[in-house]
Amino acid sequence: MSELVSVTVDDRQVEVPKGTGLVEAAQVAGIEIPVFCYEPRLGPPVGACRMCLVEIEGIPKLQAACTLTVAPDMVIKTSATSAKAAEGQEATLEFILVNHPLDCPVCDKGGECPLQDLTFRHGPGNTRMTFQKHTFDKPIPVSPLIALDRERCILCYRCTRFSEDVAEDGQLIARNRGAHTEIATFEDEPYRSPFSGNVVELCPVGALTSTLYRFDARPWDIQNVPTVCTSCAVGCNTSATIREGKVTRILSRNHPEVDRGWLCDKGRFSYPHLRAEDRITTPLRRGRKGLEEIAWDEALDEAESMLREAGGSIVTAFSGSETTEFAYALGRLLRTGLDAHSAVLPEATSDALEAFRLPLSGIAEAELVVVIGDDPVVERAPIVDLWIREARRHGAEVVVCSPTGTEKTAPGAGAEICRELASGRSALAKKLRAAERAVLVWSGPGGGGGARLAELAHELGFADKPGCGAFHLPSASNPRGVALGWAVAGEADETNPEPIELLLVSGDEAASNADVRALAEQANRVIVLTMFHELAGGWADLILPSTTALERDGTSMNLEGRVQRLRRAVLPPCPDELAWISKLAARFEVDVPAHAAGVFAEVAAELYRDLSLEDLGVHASLPARHAYVAPAAATTPDPVESANGGLRLQRYTPLFSGPAVERVAELGFQRPGRDVELASGDARSRGIANGDAVVVRSNGTSVELRARVNRRLLEGVVRVAEEHAGDLHPEVEVVKA
Amino acid sequence: MPEYPSIVFAGTTDGGAVLDIAEYEKAGGFRALRKARAMAPDAVIAELDASGLRGRGGAFFPTGRKWSFVPKPDQLPKPHYLVVNADESEPGTFKDREIMLRVPFRFLEGCLIAAHGIESQHVFIYIRGEYEREFEVLRDSLEAMRRADLLGGVTVVLHRGAGAYICGEETALLESLEGKRGQPRTKPPFPAIAGLYAAPTAVNNVESITTVTPVFEMGGAEYAKLGVENSSGTRVFSLSGDVVSPGNYELPHGISMRELIYDIGGGVPAGRELKAVIPGGSSTSVLTAADIDTKMDFTSLVEAGSSIGSAGVIVIDDRCCMVQLGIRVSQFYEHESCGKCTPCRVGTKWVTQILQKIEDGRGSQADLDLLLSVCDRIMGKCLCPLGDSDAIAVLSYVDKFREEYQAHIDLGRCPFDGESSLEGILAPSELHAHHGHEPAHV
Amino acid sequence: MSVASEVQKLKKRYPDPLSAVMPALQVAQAENGGWLSPDAIREVADALDLTPAYCLSIASFYDQYYLEPIGRTHVEVCTNVSCGLAGAQQVVEAFEHELGVSAGSTSEDGAFTLGTIECLGGCGWATVVAVNNRHRLRVQAEDVPGIVEELRGA
Repeated sequence: MSELVSVTVDDRQVEVPKGTGLVEAAQVAGIEIPVFCYEPRLGPPVGACRMCLVEIEGIPKLQAACTLTVAPDMVIKTSATSAKAAEGQEATLEFILVNHPLDCPVCDKGGECPLQDLTFRHGPGNTRMTFQKHTFDKPIPVSPLIALDRERCILCYRCTRFSEDVAEDGQLIARNRGAHTEIATFEDEPYRSPFSGNVVELCPVGALTSTLYRFDARPWDIQNVPTVCTSCAVGCNTSATIREGKVTRILSRNHPEVDRGWLCDKGRFSYPHLRAEDRITTPLRRGRKGLEEIAWDEALDEAESMLREAGGSIVTAFSGSETTEFAYALGRLLRTGLDAHSAVLPEATSDALEAFRLPLSGIAEAELVVVIGDDPVVERAPIVDLWIREARRHGAEVVVCSPTGTEKTAPGAGAEICRELASGRSALAKKLRAAERAVLVWSGPGGGGGARLAELAHELGFADKPGCGAFHLPSASNPRGVALGWAVAGEADETNPEPIELLLVSGDEAASNADVRALAEQANRVIVLTMFHELAGGWADLILPSTTALERDGTSMNLEGRVQRLRRAVLPPCPDELAWISKLAARFEVDVPAHAAGVFAEVAAELYRDLSLEDLGVHASLPARHAYVAPAAATTPDPVESANGGLRLQRYTPLFSGPAVERVAELGFQRPGRDVELASGDARSRGIANGDAVVVRSNGTSVELRARVNRRLLEGVVRVAEEHAGDLHPEVEVVKA
Repeated sequence: MPEYPSIVFAGTTDGGAVLDIAEYEKAGGFRALRKARAMAPDAVIAELDASGLRGRGGAFFPTGRKWSFVPKPDQLPKPHYLVVNADESEPGTFKDREIMLRVPFRFLEGCLIAAHGIESQHVFIYIRGEYEREFEVLRDSLEAMRRADLLGGVTVVLHRGAGAYICGEETALLESLEGKRGQPRTKPPFPAIAGLYAAPTAVNNVESITTVTPVFEMGGAEYAKLGVENSSGTRVFSLSGDVVSPGNYELPHGISMRELIYDIGGGVPAGRELKAVIPGGSSTSVLTAADIDTKMDFTSLVEAGSSIGSAGVIVIDDRCCMVQLGIRVSQFYEHESCGKCTPCRVGTKWVTQILQKIEDGRGSQADLDLLLSVCDRIMGKCLCPLGDSDAIAVLSYVDKFREEYQAHIDLGRCPFDGESSLEGILAPSELHAHHGHEPAHV
Repeated sequence: MSVASEVQKLKKRYPDPLSAVMPALQVAQAENGGWLSPDAIREVADALDLTPAYCLSIASFYDQYYLEPIGRTHVEVCTNVSCGLAGAQQVVEAFEHELGVSAGSTSEDGAFTLGTIECLGGCGWATVVAVNNRHRLRVQAEDVPGIVEELRGA
């Protein structure tokens, strides 16, 4: 219990903890001090805009409330009780409006604009400015996603502080000084950062706006549906803005423990894929003349007959982004109704980490963060990257063991690193053991879905340290939920049948997965649940249109182990999966509820011990840690092949990839180029300079790509995005084209 | 004319310089340093307290007290830094330049004494980019001291500025030195606790630091006997403008403005009359001929409604239009505004625009009221003193020369009819890519 | 001497290498004919492991980093109060006449850039004119033709 300090704000006395800022102290007193530049998530206050000027007894000059913390018996007067403060705030608004254009009728921010609101409350009623305002070409594209209107900009510097001090991308800057200051990027280069969209929400005026939302709606036309993003396993809390039954934008809903109000651009801007041109809305069956559209009843008949013919020799391939309820319902149909127990996920998952649960916000409090794994955190779970950066800014030591990390390690070496750290020999191992607040993160494939990490955390005694935690970053958004939902839907062995009579592919991620395609080649018949035509058109026998997260009710378990609720924001153009699974299951005498709430009740009874959907609330809480259960030993060791003189190819899945991203033109510039990343030494010894056209060869195949020298990359390793890597083998050679 | 003691410029004659280290040592140089190094840091600070030395950059804060705010290394175990503000850019001020050019060893000796006083091993000298020759002199002098093994383990880094008046503000200077845009910080935290690289830092002006040397040569108590109460010691006054003998003059605090301008400065040129005096650099309120007997010390100038500031004394005669003066000065603040806080960024430009309108003869009575209102709205609202300086200066011109401003309005033109000494003077021309417009004329 | 190697030396002077960005920009500017082209800025960014945008935000803040090509001889006349009172405007006009270029521009042949600037700290020796950052003192309008002749001959 921290020391309390008593202060008076506008004659109201309150007691607040020592160290509380004046803006927060006023809030406790029920008083709002107006601000523009003040945003605690951006770091220490800067006191730039001068909107929050208050009078403090004993200090002759007005003070910027945001820059001060409470002192015992401080007497604070805001504009409500101090004419001087009121004049100061009016002065600030007058100055801001001197150059601000009267754009409200055409400005997207109108109606949800702090400048409008504060001008009404504290500003001058008239303008005294008779000179020509400072004009600019407008709007200019900061990127395909974001438009900048420099005339509207009030230079609160929130955006540049986000770029420099939160995302640390150093791309959005202030150029020039004084009245000539303007927000800019370097030359005409776009603001290319996984987090760029946050500046649109941060901007208190209509200077930075979303091009996707431009002129789409007015705040009084819309509704905001609270839901959760499932583009990755973080599960950022979002609000889907709806107008006339369509999603027009995604905003953050700030869960202080999960996302802190930030979103990545994939989660924020990929919603247009709901209305992609090649979206399937009717079932398709492969006939003699190719795929033909059929009615739903006919489709269910076809599915029923295919399921029956398969005689239990069925494999279900999940994407891992399904809701838990969806996975359970499918599980009831297949396991209970058809005695088909085999399911595959893109990556393994392990429940052992439940003993080391920590909210993501716990990362920011850590003194030591160790990241192990082949993939950069930002590609797997972008917001976790922001949490780690915040930890480092707070003084934490951050060690990244990866081919591009602070400790350069070979791809696939993660498990070995965990064993080494568990042995306690190295300096780092000792630090981990001694730390009260240490966090482990597994970011990459392999490792038993967190199993190896859990073993390490257990060995280090994390279970007894509430400030210590461990996270596995899966490639899908709800693999644990899907695995659990499937698991409680039946009992019995889950090995793959041979041969596979029927492969059921759920979701676009699974449909584009090379391993799933390989299974499809083995299977006799294939049913695919997909949103898009081209993904399964060539190889599916029956295609059922699928919905996507924004169209679903249900729950999803994020990488913390937190169960969060999705809410349907818009109606899908096809039936919800639970609806037709319920109908189909009935044909096999299995009773599955047709709505998410009902399914959740069944699942919760098994999994969450009497948790109701209402209990999840607006911001779900993280359940307590479970007791540690040692995971199964690794069945196949992670491959750590030694390259025989050649270069080792590391394929990776970039954040901006996947069917949804591909269908949003404005996200195209964020997608990886046709590049191969080389280490400096490897490039030099091959006479390759940054930007050169090169040929990457492996046994029998080659791909033409552009070389990118990465100073941070481990020698002997090259990195190529999965979508450009073609059929390249793990060992390659790179030569100048 | 009485003989005034040369304290800062001691050891030089007739504007000469001491650039040879052997010569400096032979004349008694580095005596003060050896004496100070034999004292405990607390005793060093006590000596400064006894001297009554107050900052010569413009803020006039007691130097010893400033150093005492720096926590001891065992209280705050971080590197301690001494940062010397050699960013002299206040219009009317040119004394630090001459100090660095003529008595560089005296200055550097003071740096090392100061470093000892705050227990710092690290000195940064931030010198404005335009002082290229002065940088070279310091660089060579520092090298000579290094070779003579006088640095005593202290690292001295010469860091060049690149043209920004705002970097003379101590927290903006620290930001600039750290490699960021030179924008001031909010205080608290204060530099003494969290200054350069968030470590305990003392920031001092060149003249202040140079004066530390004679304080230790003669002793603090002896130094305090010079000057007047509240403003001890001598001051290097920079005299310029419409005066016969402009230049830097080291004089005791308390000398009268009349003596400085007439006896020492030779008065205004023949045939002209004294109209106005800016006593402490452009950021101080203007005084008129009626104030000629004001004493040049901190208290007297405050009582006269102005401030000693940087002791940059600009003499203005009757050929100068006070509205044009307002424009040129306001343009300066507009150009130098860092742009961080709203009232300065927007206000300095607006004030300039209104003044221009009045000068062009298009100003109405309401514009004069607006000018005063905008200045009031800047005053006391900004993050640092730059915005306030524009307001202070302009408000004082209107206050002291109200009839002249009114005449512009009543006549619908500038009463000087193109004959003012500042007629047509250009604002800074912008060479950066973003500017497509030509520099403004007064 | 390459910019990159010079910058590595500069970094060592400071406890935090970010502090080297100002001297690094000065060096890169000197190596690039007196101005900072986008490539020169990229070179500084690369040497300091910063983004070009960040380096631009620093370079554009200060008056002495030039983001456009600058003439081989850069003449800057102080037009602040004391120099103004001493006839700085006449000095400017004389330079404009002699150099055939208006204040704020560069001559066609790239030989001269003429500018007006704020207080150079030489008020007692007004009017101060900086020629490639070296100051000439007590310049009057009648001195200008001689100065220009000297500069052209140099």
